[in-house]
Amino acid sequence: MNGRITKVGLGLIVCFSLLFLQLTRIQVLQADELDENPENLRSIDRSYEQGRGIVASADGAVLARSVETPDSTFARRREFPEGELFAHVTGYYSFEYGAEGIERTFNDELAGLTEAQRYDRVSDLFVDRDRTADVTLTLRKDVQEVARAALGQRKGSVVVLDPRTGAIQALWSYPSYDPNLLSDHDTDAVRAAWQQLNDDPAAPMLARSYRERFAPGSTFKVVTAAVGVESGVVTATNPVFPQASSYTPPASNNPIGNFGGEVCGGTLVEVLTVSCNSAFAQLGAELIGPQRMISSVGAFGFNTALPVDLPVPAVSVFPTDFGAEITPGVFEDSARLAQAAIGQNDVAATPLTMAMVAAAVANDGRAMRPHALDRIVARDGEVLTRVEPQLWQRPVSPETAALIREAMQSVVAQGTATALAIDGVEVGAMTGTAEVGDGEATNAWVIGYAGTPGQVPSVAFAVIVEADPGIGEQTGGQIAAPIARSVVEVALGAQPRQAG
Amino acid sequence: MGRVRRTTELGLLLLGALIVIGAYSLTALGRTASLPANIGPFLGMLLALFAIGHLAVRKLAPQADGLLLPLAGLLNGLGYVFIARMDTELAAAQATWSAVGMAGFVATLVLIRRARNLEHYRYSFAALGILLLLLPSVPVIGQEINGARIWIRVGPMSFQPGEAAKLALAAFIAGYLVEKRELLALSTKRLGPLYLPDPRHLGPLLAAWGVSLLVMVNQKDLGSSLLFFTLFIVLVWVATGRAAYLLLGVGLFAGGATIAYQLFGHVRDRVTIWLDPWPVAKEAGYQIVEAAFAMADGGLTGTGLGLGDPSRIPANTTDFIFAVVAEELGLVGATALLMAYLLLVGSGLRIALQADSNFDKLLATGLTTLLGVQAFVIIGGVTRVLPLTGVTLPFMSFGGSSLLANYVLLALLVRISDEATARSTARAAEVAVGESPTMVVGS
Repeated sequence: MNGRITKVGLGLIVCFSLLFLQLTRIQVLQADELDENPENLRSIDRSYEQGRGIVASADGAVLARSVETPDSTFARRREFPEGELFAHVTGYYSFEYGAEGIERTFNDELAGLTEAQRYDRVSDLFVDRDRTADVTLTLRKDVQEVARAALGQRKGSVVVLDPRTGAIQALWSYPSYDPNLLSDHDTDAVRAAWQQLNDDPAAPMLARSYRERFAPGSTFKVVTAAVGVESGVVTATNPVFPQASSYTPPASNNPIGNFGGEVCGGTLVEVLTVSCNSAFAQLGAELIGPQRMISSVGAFGFNTALPVDLPVPAVSVFPTDFGAEITPGVFEDSARLAQAAIGQNDVAATPLTMAMVAAAVANDGRAMRPHALDRIVARDGEVLTRVEPQLWQRPVSPETAALIREAMQSVVAQGTATALAIDGVEVGAMTGTAEVGDGEATNAWVIGYAGTPGQVPSVAFAVIVEADPGIGEQTGGQIAAPIARSVVEVALGAQPRQAG
Repeated sequence: MGRVRRTTELGLLLLGALIVIGAYSLTALGRTASLPANIGPFLGMLLALFAIGHLAVRKLAPQADGLLLPLAGLLNGLGYVFIARMDTELAAAQATWSAVGMAGFVATLVLIRRARNLEHYRYSFAALGILLLLLPSVPVIGQEINGARIWIRVGPMSFQPGEAAKLALAAFIAGYLVEKRELLALSTKRLGPLYLPDPRHLGPLLAAWGVSLLVMVNQKDLGSSLLFFTLFIVLVWVATGRAAYLLLGVGLFAGGATIAYQLFGHVRDRVTIWLDPWPVAKEAGYQIVEAAFAMADGGLTGTGLGLGDPSRIPANTTDFIFAVVAEELGLVGATALLMAYLLLVGSGLRIALQADSNFDKLLATGLTTLLGVQAFVIIGGVTRVLPLTGVTLPFMSFGGSSLLANYVLLALLVRISDEATARSTARAAEVAVGESPTMVVGS
């Protein structure tokens, strides 16, 4: 009988070994898979209530932080102390609706989920230390605040960035929203807020600065001019565009008129200074032509996603087909190209893209990768990521850029953007007044750069005040330029020191 | 021999107490970052219970194996820690039940001075076992809780008589097999390729088995059915050595399982969920799926005591307490727990090997099999090695009936162990006495 009793023991050992093997499968081999299972509310809840790092502005303002909520079912809540001011940048962090903005782009770093944060040292296998990291942005609260104040209760956007590094300093759009509404623990309140924000016709959750496209109007003439100079069809002195009040494109009967029916013409600098439609329409449609236009605008950020570290930026568009060539230099859609060359028709750009255009011109033709992130620092002080300036595109040569800058400075000195003239500061700009819909209302634009004379400008900007049916026509020079001036003054005031 | 064993037992009990107290404090620290206010009374109670058990063994079964009581104490204590972590009210009840269990342990040692005396009452045990199994089916006192009609309610108290029935039936089977094992080992009747013993000898056994199974199936207590069935097969095989019984048993089981699968929706559900719980992850498969998530969360080293989120696991103080352990102590802790049960099984079977009467051997084997298989069935159910059948995790799950029955089971093993050691010591002494004169003559 003893032999069989021993076998009973062996049988039970086999049984318990099976349990061990299965446990190993569940707890080690399949653990990650189970953790990511959509049914697993455990990991969703945990990621929602676990500590997350702080999001801070370049000048030290806390933009998002986790606060403990002892009276709630969840241990922590995400708080956005600046409310609507940075909502389109930080985004929200909601149990119901996930994350947006920086909260979304850098979720893993904030939550301590990247491989580098999770397994930094052997002891991490056993000790649950705080693995979260803090995110510091390049955006400045002072610039953001002045952008909000200057734009006021008008729909629009203000984008400010450093042309030398691509560091975004302000990214404000009105209307905005309070992301705290969506990180509340009261699910009903969150749902109601979500519903209300989505139902609002003004679309406050839309980050118009980088997710909405607008006809860039005359500000696009900077691109047309740069492409023309870079391709050699225009120089500082040649051609001299004819004095005209309108321009009729080839194979078309619809003349493109100048603003207010004025007569203008002259050299490149002269026609940009007064934003001469007839000259630029001709430059685009006849001198540059479709192929060169289409192939050159990509480097300025058209028809390509900007490599910005914010989620899902809208792609700025420039038409890619102007029909067949009817006679040499004349295309089926030459009329459309003429309009596109002055930023009308099917051209549509995000304010961020237009700021990048100004930045590329300011930085000697070097478009730097735009970024909102400056650095990510782990709880123990280790710098996990520091964003180094990175060249993205070279749309034009330094010589071309210098000529365009000369023209843009002339716009400020004696053109449509005199409101931007600041003593002791080199400012270049281009205004735009883009017709919307039936032409009654217009989007008012200004793009440009500013900095210490003789140095590479340290600020590039784009401001748009959107068409408002009640207000009627508004020009970039009258409406947008003063806003840009207020913002530029603050942005130039106290530049944060460049690291390294 | 006895003294060494008792010293070992005392040392291991203290070690167990240390582990339990440590776990209790860590759990409280993990949850509230402060030591529990009731750490003093808890400590006192735990040490008192261990001391009572130890003194009882010292007095009543001094030569018994020294591993049994410390292992049971450790499991009981850890079970308490996890129950207290989930529900303080249940913890108070469990503390009381632990005391009752320990009282049962001592009472068993006092009342049963020779395990072999039980052999005389084998048919009474059969009757008692079946009666206990039938009780929950009796109207008024019988109660259905969570779909299983295995409870009786007397006044304010609820019991699961099935827990005691298992012990009674184990005693019956052991006794019956001792009487009939030689007859059962002989094959006189031929059934196809199988030689079977005289049905007259097999009859009572089959009847007891059939009645128990029917009753348990009727009460939807699949876990107990499985447990009892295994006990039956293992003991018959150990007693007779006929592999044919194992085959027959497996065949009967397969047949029974197929019929149950066809007849009972709840059996079908269990099997479906076992095979693939994911399509019903929100409904019937909820328990299994949540347990898997919990254990996956625990990973290799666990979330830490008091730092997991076991409130998500259903039945986390009873059937699924193992998932809580695996979550908070990880694979490392869960494996340690498996080892504790294996050590208990090993001790029990060693006692069976050392026992010199066949009844003692079979009873010890049966009781150990009950313990080991019960742990296997519920842990296997929780980890999806087997279809989930609700049985308690011995010594750990919340529940008075189960604790009491397991402490009585433990006392029986202690009793058998004491007797076996005492006899072998006596025999060794006899041999020594018998030898010395020869040596004198030789000189």
